Amino acid sequence: MKKIVGSEKLGLVIALIIMIIGFSVLTDNNYFTANNVINILIASAIVGLVTIGESYLLISGQVDLSPGSVAAFSGVLVTLLLSRGVVMWVAIPVVILSGILIGFFNALMVTKLRFESFIATLASMSIFRGFAYIICDGKSIFVTDTSFLKMGTGRILGVPIPVIICAAMFAVFGLILNRTKFGRSVYMVGGNAIAARLAGIKTVDVKVKLFMMTSAFAALGGIILAARMSSGQPSASVGLEFDAVTACVLGGIAMSGGIGNLSGALIGLLIMQGFNNGLMMMNVQSFWQTVARGVLLIAALAFDYVRNRQREAKLNEHHPEKTGTDSLLTI
Amino acid sequence: MSRTLEFRNIRKEFPGVKALNNVSFNAAGGEVLALIGENGAGKSTLLKILNGDYQPTSGDYIVNGECKSFRDPHEAIEQGVGVIYQERQLVAYLSVAENIFMEDIPVNSVGLIDFSKLNQEAQHIIDEFHIPISAKDKVKDISVAYQQMVEIMKVYRRKPDIIAFDEPTASLSDSEISILFDIIRKLKKQGIIILYVSHRLKEIFQIADRVVILKDGEFVRMLETDKTNPEEIVRLMVGRSLGDIFNELEHSSNYGDVVLDVRNLCSGLIDNVSFQVHAGEILGFAGLVGAGRSETMKAIYGADSIKSGEIFVDGRLNRFDHPSDAIECGIALCPEDRKDEGIVRGRSVMENLTVSILERLKKWGFINFTEEKRITNESIKNLDIKTPSIQKNIVELSGGNQQKVILARCLATNPKILILDEPTKGIDVGAKSEIYKIICSLARKGIGIIVISSELPEVMGLCDRIIVMSRGHISGEVMKDEATEEKILTMAMARM
Repeated sequence: MKKIVGSEKLGLVIALIIMIIGFSVLTDNNYFTANNVINILIASAIVGLVTIGESYLLISGQVDLSPGSVAAFSGVLVTLLLSRGVVMWVAIPVVILSGILIGFFNALMVTKLRFESFIATLASMSIFRGFAYIICDGKSIFVTDTSFLKMGTGRILGVPIPVIICAAMFAVFGLILNRTKFGRSVYMVGGNAIAARLAGIKTVDVKVKLFMMTSAFAALGGIILAARMSSGQPSASVGLEFDAVTACVLGGIAMSGGIGNLSGALIGLLIMQGFNNGLMMMNVQSFWQTVARGVLLIAALAFDYVRNRQREAKLNEHHPEKTGTDSLLTI
Repeated sequence: MSRTLEFRNIRKEFPGVKALNNVSFNAAGGEVLALIGENGAGKSTLLKILNGDYQPTSGDYIVNGECKSFRDPHEAIEQGVGVIYQERQLVAYLSVAENIFMEDIPVNSVGLIDFSKLNQEAQHIIDEFHIPISAKDKVKDISVAYQQMVEIMKVYRRKPDIIAFDEPTASLSDSEISILFDIIRKLKKQGIIILYVSHRLKEIFQIADRVVILKDGEFVRMLETDKTNPEEIVRLMVGRSLGDIFNELEHSSNYGDVVLDVRNLCSGLIDNVSFQVHAGEILGFAGLVGAGRSETMKAIYGADSIKSGEIFVDGRLNRFDHPSDAIECGIALCPEDRKDEGIVRGRSVMENLTVSILERLKKWGFINFTEEKRITNESIKNLDIKTPSIQKNIVELSGGNQQKVILARCLATNPKILILDEPTKGIDVGAKSEIYKIICSLARKGIGIIVISSELPEVMGLCDRIIVMSRGHISGEVMKDEATEEKILTMAMARM
């Protein structure tokens, strides 16, 4: 975690600061207050958990479109278990385990059946949204268990528990990505999976772990959301994955894999949620907020495109063309 | 008027490489002119100049008395110059007719495709070729040879002056080759200039009128095929004097025990391959492309699955399900295609260098960065890798230095057996001789080394013993001092 602010990240931090100053001016200094910052962080917490998973996946060259559905399914499942009298300390691990199983299912489609992750997880996005409605018969399930609700609404030293959970996860998984063999393998798989395999990296294992991890984060996000809303709602967190991917791309993670890191994604997440919050404070109509979010994604992708072009240009400089060797070898 | 093609003093330079140097020759309509030469001789570069992929650094390219300079292959085709590559460039799920008229499909008055006209015109061309396919057949449903015909028809319908073939028979069976040759003879009768690039000498004598021999980017000789013989052509192709570099190499004087013993290895592409490597020995693998050399190594290394056979390392039977198992057992492989199988683009020199030893670098579950940097710096010093910093993106290094990083990655695992697949492909002569020296010094340290190379002088100069493969089998073996290029070539073509 040495380089919190690298040269590529300097631009992001500056963008974040400009946004804060801009909204502060536009809202008569009501934007950058302790209360509102906490609001932004609360709004970031659940997306943040999924952002961690998507960051890892994007860096490895994959994507997962199912977290929104998995979160809804998990939220409904945990409230269902609680309403049937299962204690919280059993219900939560069970739901996270079911998330891991969903991730394993995604991974099987990608590694065994060799589906593109985009298509495979598009299928599970639909499947688990469907199951979210099926297990509760389409009706929200309400919870009254106060210790469970604390997970969503409680505070420790003034900081909301979801924010603490999310921050802790960012710290732990940032460390894993930067400093462990597993983290390094993720980069290698994303940079060149064939080369990584020949160099001894178990690329299939890495992918399987990543899908399980991402779905587990989605499940945890779904549980926390249920605790915050004191209910499990099958229609919850639609588009959660897109917010997470937007945050990743804004934060400098290349869609082509192999490049980016979690601190970038974290800044991307704060820019995105800060932007949403600012629009809300300025009383921009919610429909327009949706439009603005799309524009922000385009901006993020445009950044990604420009960065890629620069990388390619750099590359071509050093490899003008395949040198005089013939493509087909002869004796 | 008869068609003519002339290359006059063609030169093509890439940074640090002279791909073609003062190549001049001409061809006339109604003849088949073969181009032959070793890997790197400049045949493909010449074809790329022909169809506008490359522009020559200097020299004239003259068709029918007119100087040509095509911006791209598309313009070349429009002006009557087409190249047929061995990889098909067809759309499998479209019809033959749609593929032939890909660039300008006839449309009716409302802008929809005029299928009756399209099929009629296409069928007309197919009939000229006398081949039993229909314009409406989907390309995926016809045989490889006919797919190639479709490729030729794409060029033919524009009434071309020149059609060039780049290794057209690489994926064809004998009967399919004779279909192709019939067509080539028909085209020739129409006065079209045919250029034919192939490494198969037999075919050149069957189809070509004259043959141009290229070597190291230079024109060597133009011969009429009925006034020469394969031996003369081979001698002209390979007679080079790279010898000095190889004479300076110090080989290990005595070998140790057998470190690798492969018995009756079979996989999808190789059949019954058995051989041994001793500690300190440099064993070469020669053969044509597709002979199964890389496949053999990948099967040994656990990267491809094995049908049957046994692999003994240091006398112990092993089975590798994944390259990581092979690495752990002391086998390292430096893959053939540096760009696609070697380097991890976008990542640093250090990350590329240590990727195979991350397990060893673990301390309390984390990568020990201090140790990682130490090993990287040490490797950079040992192999004299030129990089401004260990954090540099690997793609910013030259090809030779990238190759050294991959070699350093292999060596970091402390291998007993080092497999190098085309270790000097696409790198300049200076870097080549450095890599040869490194290989010899490793052998002197007692590592058993396998070198796959398609460059004969390299295998003969570098290796103590040479195994030749052909069509998935070992077709012969020869010791360094008995090896001649002719001997190896004969064995390499043994099963053709």
